[in-house]
Amino acid sequence: MGSPFSMNGGACVAMVGKDCVGIACDLRLGMQALTVSNNFPKIFGINDSVYLGLTGLATDVATVSDLFRFKVNMYRLREERNISPDTFANLVSTSLYERRFGPYFVSPVVAGINQTSGKPFICGFDSIGCIDFAKDFIVSGTASDQLFGMCEGLYEPDLGPDELFETLSQALLSAVDRDALSGWGAHVYIIEKDKVTKRLLKGRQD
Amino acid sequence: MADRYSFSLTTFSPSGKLVQIEYALNAVNNGVTALGIKATNGIVLATEKKSSSPLIEPHSSSKVALITPNIGMVYSGMGPDYRVLVDRARKVSHTGYKRVYNEYPPTRILVQDVAQVMQAATQSGGVRPYGVSLLIAGWDDGILPEEELEVEVEGEKKKISGKTGGILKGGPSLYQVDPSGSYFPWKATAIGKSATSAKTFLEKRYTEGLELEDAIHIALLTLKETIEGEMNGDTVEIGIVGPPEDGLLGYEGVEGAKGPRFRVLSPQEVEDYLTSL
Amino acid sequence: MDTLVAQYSCPAIEDTTLDAEQDELLHGPDALSLNFSLPPIAQPSSWLRAMTDDASNPNCPIKIAHGTTTLAFRFKGGIIVCTDSRATQGNWIASQTVKKVIEINNSLLGTMAGGAADCQYWLAYLGMQCRLHELRNKRRITVAAASKILANLVYSYKGMGLSMGTMCAGVTPQEGPALYYVDSDGTRMAGNMFCVGSGQTFAYGVLDAEYRYEMEDEEALELGRRSILAAMHRDAYSGGFINLYHVKEDGWVKHGFSDMNPIFWKTKLEKGEFSNVTADME
Repeated sequence: MGSPFSMNGGACVAMVGKDCVGIACDLRLGMQALTVSNNFPKIFGINDSVYLGLTGLATDVATVSDLFRFKVNMYRLREERNISPDTFANLVSTSLYERRFGPYFVSPVVAGINQTSGKPFICGFDSIGCIDFAKDFIVSGTASDQLFGMCEGLYEPDLGPDELFETLSQALLSAVDRDALSGWGAHVYIIEKDKVTKRLLKGRQD
Repeated sequence: MADRYSFSLTTFSPSGKLVQIEYALNAVNNGVTALGIKATNGIVLATEKKSSSPLIEPHSSSKVALITPNIGMVYSGMGPDYRVLVDRARKVSHTGYKRVYNEYPPTRILVQDVAQVMQAATQSGGVRPYGVSLLIAGWDDGILPEEELEVEVEGEKKKISGKTGGILKGGPSLYQVDPSGSYFPWKATAIGKSATSAKTFLEKRYTEGLELEDAIHIALLTLKETIEGEMNGDTVEIGIVGPPEDGLLGYEGVEGAKGPRFRVLSPQEVEDYLTSL
Repeated sequence: MDTLVAQYSCPAIEDTTLDAEQDELLHGPDALSLNFSLPPIAQPSSWLRAMTDDASNPNCPIKIAHGTTTLAFRFKGGIIVCTDSRATQGNWIASQTVKKVIEINNSLLGTMAGGAADCQYWLAYLGMQCRLHELRNKRRITVAAASKILANLVYSYKGMGLSMGTMCAGVTPQEGPALYYVDSDGTRMAGNMFCVGSGQTFAYGVLDAEYRYEMEDEEALELGRRSILAAMHRDAYSGGFINLYHVKEDGWVKHGFSDMNPIFWKTKLEKGEFSNVTADME
């Protein structure tokens, strides 16, 4: 059966550009070798400028995304403001560590723009909440080795929104083409201060 | 008769009152006066520090307390109850917020948490309401970009910071919390024995676009109206929310680190303000 | 006394008629296949299985390239042989351009599924044996005989961890179109239709639904292509290029080694199949 992290498959990557961030995921949901769905997005909108990517065990992806929808809605009701990506990252971290001895089998990625400072923000986590703050890119999922390779090769700092979309998409598509458990199309979000562009990529269907 | 409804568990009287809470308010209204004034660039909290005997060591008690680096509070009513609430406020600002979000709670959130603690004491068995009212002053960074506001002060237009308080805009805010657990935001207010007269005085002296230094001045003048004994650095206690004091950080060289905005003035500083009164 | 008799008597029939091939069939494979060095331990076969068998031990240290869909079926016009081209080691796609159809000679094809090296090596070996048979007997080997060489060979290594599922397809004057399935357990069987590999069930699904013996050549080629396409789509360990062959009386014809992706989208958009795949958002 293997690790819970690779039972369903999936990949996610986030990148920082100039005054923008991008986050992308594949669409596959499988049960080992069998592809069950080609429309299982792994990116969840937290608010207009914060997005959460979740790869790993699909049941936990669903549970954890619901949990954060709940927590963020409670935050919004209580504080009458949207949560900033930095604050949300800390919320993700503490929530995951609460399950230190029975973790959710997910590898989250947070991407967003801090509306106060206007600064792009990305970070990644292990399944028990250790935050990986990165200035350039974050990868997660069954194609993470391949994504690391693609990002190390393609990434350059200060890309504009369109170039960032191109780089992010090429990195993801090429990476998942070398992973048996992810692919089958992709979603790409480019987040700017007052604009979010969501695109569907048609990937290889094998 | 009223005794029949003053059990240890706060119980409604037939007229719909919770007399235990009213008694708690009586305790507050017998307490030493405390006041707070919100300025454009900060807040001042002030109170009289009464000592029952000239033999007491003056520095052993303090009434203005720091809760988070940007939030402080003062009370009127029962000192021991206050110290319990200070403890709870400090604790809840960490357990309920900093440990989760890795940042300190905005003032309103802290006020809500403290108010919840006080409300719980009006509805739980085996406890009595807290015999204090609190003034909580804090500064929020806000999440909106800074803007300038135009205010008309005595016929002339004046530009002041748009940070008028609150979670969204950021800036100073001043709250009062009562034993019932209800809380109100104020521009300036007073609690305790001479609250009514102090508030009348504040209504006369308060203007829009006040600066922190003016506010401290007004606070001392107000206190002077109500105070019985001598006013000096040992009998007056002042806490301010002002600009970040990076010198109080205890370290330097960390990018983005800002010093605490709340601090209690030293007796010498209070003395200096009193001489320039 | 017996030893003395044996020493001075000669056998009733001098056994000189056994040729090399019969000798091999009787006494096992020749030197070429006996030259493998084995791990110098008491139970090499169980050790090999523990180290290399992904199925019984997912943490096995030696990962062998696996994962495949291959199919072949007999019909009126001969035999269609079709495969994908993906090789995986765990979840890593090691290659998208593997040739899983081995051209043994110009009328015999073998397919490979399972261990890539095992298949490649032993089907090449089978090719050599078939050529030797041809030289020795001055006629083409039958599919039955060729498949049996392979079956006997893998049987002699049974339990040593060989992993292969192959098909031998060919047309000979003696048999007509013939199709055999041989795997590393030692199974060997003749049949009209086989699908082998991790994506076999998906291929069977399409093939069983549409298969008729009386198909025309074009129909049969399209069915082979479509069956592999279904498997490539649903099976994570199959994909890449569609490798299509048609075996006829006068030898086999190759019908391309073509990327599945354009074919997939063409099938979806023009025929309305694969409606599960979204082409637009939400």
